[in-house]
Amino acid sequence: MDQLSGIHPAYGLYLVLIISGGAVAVLARSLVRALSGLIITLFGVAGMYLLMAAPFIAFMQILIYVGAVTVLIFFAIMLTRTSEGESGSESGSVGRSFLGIWAAAFSTLVLAAVVVRHMPKAIPLKPEASMGRLGEFLTGPFALSFELISVVLFVAMAGAVLLGFERRKAK
Amino acid sequence: MTQILQFLMLPLVHLIVALIAILTFIALNGLILVYVERKVAGFIQRRPGPFEVGPHGLLQPLADALKLVGKQLVMPRGADRILFWVAPLLSFAPVAICLLPIPFGPYLLGLNVNLGLLLVLAFSGLNVLALCLAGWGSNNKYALLGAARAVAQSVAYEIPLLLSVLCVAFTCGSLSFVDITASQTRGLLSWNVFSQPLAFLIFFVSALAETNRAPFDLPEAESELTAGFHTEYSGMGFGLFFLAEYSYMIVVSAVASVLFLGGWSGPFFSGHWWMLGKIYALILIMMWFRWTYPRVRFDQLLNICWKWLIPLSLINLLGTALIINLVR
Repeated sequence: MDQLSGIHPAYGLYLVLIISGGAVAVLARSLVRALSGLIITLFGVAGMYLLMAAPFIAFMQILIYVGAVTVLIFFAIMLTRTSEGESGSESGSVGRSFLGIWAAAFSTLVLAAVVVRHMPKAIPLKPEASMGRLGEFLTGPFALSFELISVVLFVAMAGAVLLGFERRKAK
Repeated sequence: MTQILQFLMLPLVHLIVALIAILTFIALNGLILVYVERKVAGFIQRRPGPFEVGPHGLLQPLADALKLVGKQLVMPRGADRILFWVAPLLSFAPVAICLLPIPFGPYLLGLNVNLGLLLVLAFSGLNVLALCLAGWGSNNKYALLGAARAVAQSVAYEIPLLLSVLCVAFTCGSLSFVDITASQTRGLLSWNVFSQPLAFLIFFVSALAETNRAPFDLPEAESELTAGFHTEYSGMGFGLFFLAEYSYMIVVSAVASVLFLGGWSGPFFSGHWWMLGKIYALILIMMWFRWTYPRVRFDQLLNICWKWLIPLSLINLLGTALIINLVR
């Protein structure tokens, strides 16, 4: 219990943000509301990065994910909106909600069991890495993974363009 | 006395005092800019502008503000009850954070962070999101069109903006506003605008687009979309959007003066008056633009960005990197 009482208030706040944002994203009927839930979660995760002494990653998270990615998702929602309103808002039957609760409870139990069995020890916080060192790492020892990620992104983009063209030809 | 000073030096107290000061500045600035904009518009169009309320119409913005506060808040039927009211708040709230890391004077600084530039860029991006939510939540076609325009515009213009900012970060070797200002205190010629003139131009044009100022005010183009994303807002809902727009003008001009015009340093008597002078000079130029150029068409807007600003800023960035490598 000693560890629990030592939770940083900011950590608790970010935890609440992440979980409540996720709940909104899953439970909301309207797509845009689900998207705002996602935004709340992303903010919480950015806060977690701040607590881990990685402000650069935290601000990048806000700049890229909140500022650009969610805006693009919003754009996609607006473009694909059908005339009968929101898509994918069919009401779930009792059986489906039962299955949903079962799945949530099962995964929670498994995760809780693992955490209780192998409680990770708190690692002392490392000092904040300077931007220069981050850059050296990305272009030095981690250059390959850095390049691979950009290749993956490029492939995804090219694939999206290709799919778009094929769809247009079919019409 | 020393106890009071010590109390003021506590980080949290310092932050709260800075936030209060910034909010006061934002409110005062809103009143001033409303008056100045109407006067500038008047003079450019050869008419006196507001003249009736108070001497030379000085009390006009106060009357406007009272009118806005007193108006009824109306929500259209079928609007999204939560998102409709969250949007103006989300538009206004990040402004205070954006102004925190900006050094207005040698000691006039809310929060000294190493990544100040990144902080401002990250939080100023939230404005687009607010416009989207406002446009979508209003259940209005004009508002939705305005939101769609805002998205396309800001996503496009964010790229040259970031690239031009990166040039300055390269030359100064830092993302901290304090360091960037410190590197420009060696006289007038050490200002970045002289070493990075192209970056300054690109930054200023992109910033005009990001703040939805004319000639790039397509999201709220009144002749085509009534009022764009804020068509359905009345009273302080509209007031907050308005205040946010004027405050983003301050943020953008302040960032531009720190990055390119030496911040609070001047050729003589360096201090916060230089910073304020530069900020308001840039804002006057923005107003001058608004009443000089007609609004661009949407395809023109995107062409300017994708065909001119992005290639130019990429070339500028590569050139800067090359020169820095050669010099080292």
